Amino acid sequence: MIELMIKKLLQLLILLAFTVTAAANAAVGTIVIDGSTTVGPVAKTFAAYFTKKYGVRVTVSESGSGNGAKSLINGSCSIAAMSRAMKAGEIGAARTKGVNPVANIVAYDGLAMVVHPANPVRGLSKAQISSIYRGIITNWREVGGPNARIVVIQRESNSGTEESFKELVAGKGVQITGSAETQSSNGSVKSRVSTTLSAIGFLGLGFVDQSVKIIAVNGVLPNVITVKNGTYPVTRPLYFYTNGQPSGSVKQFIELPKTAEGKRMISELGFVNH
Amino acid sequence: MNIGTRKILDRSFTAVGIGSIIVMAIALMIVVVPIVTNGIGAVFFTGTIEHRKMLLNEFRRGDSENLSSEVASSERYRANVYNMLTGFEAELETMAPEKKAEYKGKYSQVRSALQALLGPLPGDSAPMLTRSKYGQTRWEKAEEKLHDLLYESKWDNSNPDVMSKEYFVNRAIGFEGTSLVKLFPYVKDNLEKMLLPEFTVYWGFITDSSVDSHFFGGIWPEIQGTFFLAIGAMLFAFPLGVVAAVYFTEYAKPGFLNSMLRSANSTLAGVPSIVFGMFGLAFFINTLKVSESKSVIAGALTLAIMILPTIIRSAEEAILAVPKTYREASLSLGSTKWNTIMTVILPAALPGILTGGVISLGRAAGETAPIIFTAAVSVGSAIGLADVFSSPTPALSWNIYNLASEHEAASQIRHVQYGMVLALVSIVLLLNLSAIVVRARVSKKLKG
Repeated sequence: MIELMIKKLLQLLILLAFTVTAAANAAVGTIVIDGSTTVGPVAKTFAAYFTKKYGVRVTVSESGSGNGAKSLINGSCSIAAMSRAMKAGEIGAARTKGVNPVANIVAYDGLAMVVHPANPVRGLSKAQISSIYRGIITNWREVGGPNARIVVIQRESNSGTEESFKELVAGKGVQITGSAETQSSNGSVKSRVSTTLSAIGFLGLGFVDQSVKIIAVNGVLPNVITVKNGTYPVTRPLYFYTNGQPSGSVKQFIELPKTAEGKRMISELGFVNH
Repeated sequence: MNIGTRKILDRSFTAVGIGSIIVMAIALMIVVVPIVTNGIGAVFFTGTIEHRKMLLNEFRRGDSENLSSEVASSERYRANVYNMLTGFEAELETMAPEKKAEYKGKYSQVRSALQALLGPLPGDSAPMLTRSKYGQTRWEKAEEKLHDLLYESKWDNSNPDVMSKEYFVNRAIGFEGTSLVKLFPYVKDNLEKMLLPEFTVYWGFITDSSVDSHFFGGIWPEIQGTFFLAIGAMLFAFPLGVVAAVYFTEYAKPGFLNSMLRSANSTLAGVPSIVFGMFGLAFFINTLKVSESKSVIAGALTLAIMILPTIIRSAEEAILAVPKTYREASLSLGSTKWNTIMTVILPAALPGILTGGVISLGRAAGETAPIIFTAAVSVGSAIGLADVFSSPTPALSWNIYNLASEHEAASQIRHVQYGMVLALVSIVLLLNLSAIVVRARVSKKLKG
């Protein structure tokens, strides 16, 4: 019986050998996207559209902007979706590996500051938000709300949204309060804020729904108009990074945000067109 | 110890034993019952006409003649709603500017609530996203959306010292004195006629690919990916593990090196799975470059390393459990060591070896951490066998996590998430059952 098993195993190995040779042909025409959870909805929608239209397989992983950059540097993805620009260190690391990262702007995103709908606070200034995240303001009473301790929610260090937030609101190199809670994706920030009465967090505009309340920053609410003309103070571009100027189907994919249909998808997802 | 104390001890031991079994059974019920009841809802549910439209358009499935007659009958009732909307829009134009502005905001809320319920309204441009091309496909969701249409959620913040309280306002009151006020009772009374709910069995949930990132369609790519990863891991780990166990038990000389290797193996069995995930990324993808990107093969290799210690240990135990007399009888008949191992020891140990394999297979199917960085993607089509060397794949364990936390509309597609959980639990159960059957047959053969 063992001999029979060995025979079967051998057959399997031969089959595997065949598939290896077949794989060499199949590898052509797959686009691998890795990176930001904020860009995720756009990347996933584009992927489905692209596969349907051109028959090219596209896979999307949402592991965070930092991981997207690392994947591109290691050559393990064709497009890195990022919700922040690549840092000088990352570009340097890429160059030493012979990778030349090129930024392609997909869309613009307003970083919405969100609280629980029960929170009567309607708006905060940038300075107030900064103080909240640095732990100087710890009670909603100090900013015109009810007497409740503020539950501060931030994103993990790998997140491009976290970096954009620090850069645009809290100020670069600012130490965020140690009592801040860390969530690993836009979705989990949203579910945490929507279930915690006294929480504050930040989300990509495409992730906001009725379960949370957007508050104005410096008196401006994020929407298509204020993000586009830059009056909303926490606005940032979203990127698809590629290695060098893309060609072939990757180029076609990168250019989707410039097509009429791509623009429609972006705006239906709640992001703002370039 | 006197007999009385012994009896008391004996009884209390029995009681604790039975008690722990009961606690375990209750825990299992608490876990399994919601998984099954919620998971089944992904396949068996009350589907609306929007679900049937979606199936016909996206999957070319269903009776198009039957559907068009259904659409015609639902459109008769919907037309009244649409007429009320156009009527109100005309009325809006005749209003004084400030009144018009006041109603306009409220009216756009009504419109979007109706869009969520019935799909695009006349005059809307055709949406690009499949999720906004259809109204509610599931009746229980439609009822929630009906509530959103009928009632507006407001927050009472009259007391500035505490958080606001939610209360609901009948939207109809806001439109008192206009023609739109009739719309709310009409929709409420005729929703069934507009959506034609009927009991639906959607086996496609298991066999279809997802449409518009799991809003519609099924989970076949995830199921297939889970199988590929688990079986791929077994293909590597099982032969290697058995060979290693044979070496440990039959060939290795007892000594320092041998005991070091064994304890290393036991330690490896206790390493957290995320460590294997990081190792797989660093070793298989970045160093060995088994594939250009994440791929099934990299994930399967990582999972194989993770389950290898368990397989080795269980195979070792199984081989050691083979009676010494078997070995001696074989050798005394003039058989070689190799021949003894192949024809006597391994067949006798096979049931035990298979048990270890089964446990590992279940673990490989259910693990998330090792495949995050090596194999899993949140969206991707089903891959062929030829693509396992180059393509990453969606897999149930990872996609459950993705839908639970990262998905932009997680709360709207809970049923898909539950369906995935049930599918994963069933797959593990199925693998275990089939292996138990195989094992039973093997032992029967050995006895006969």
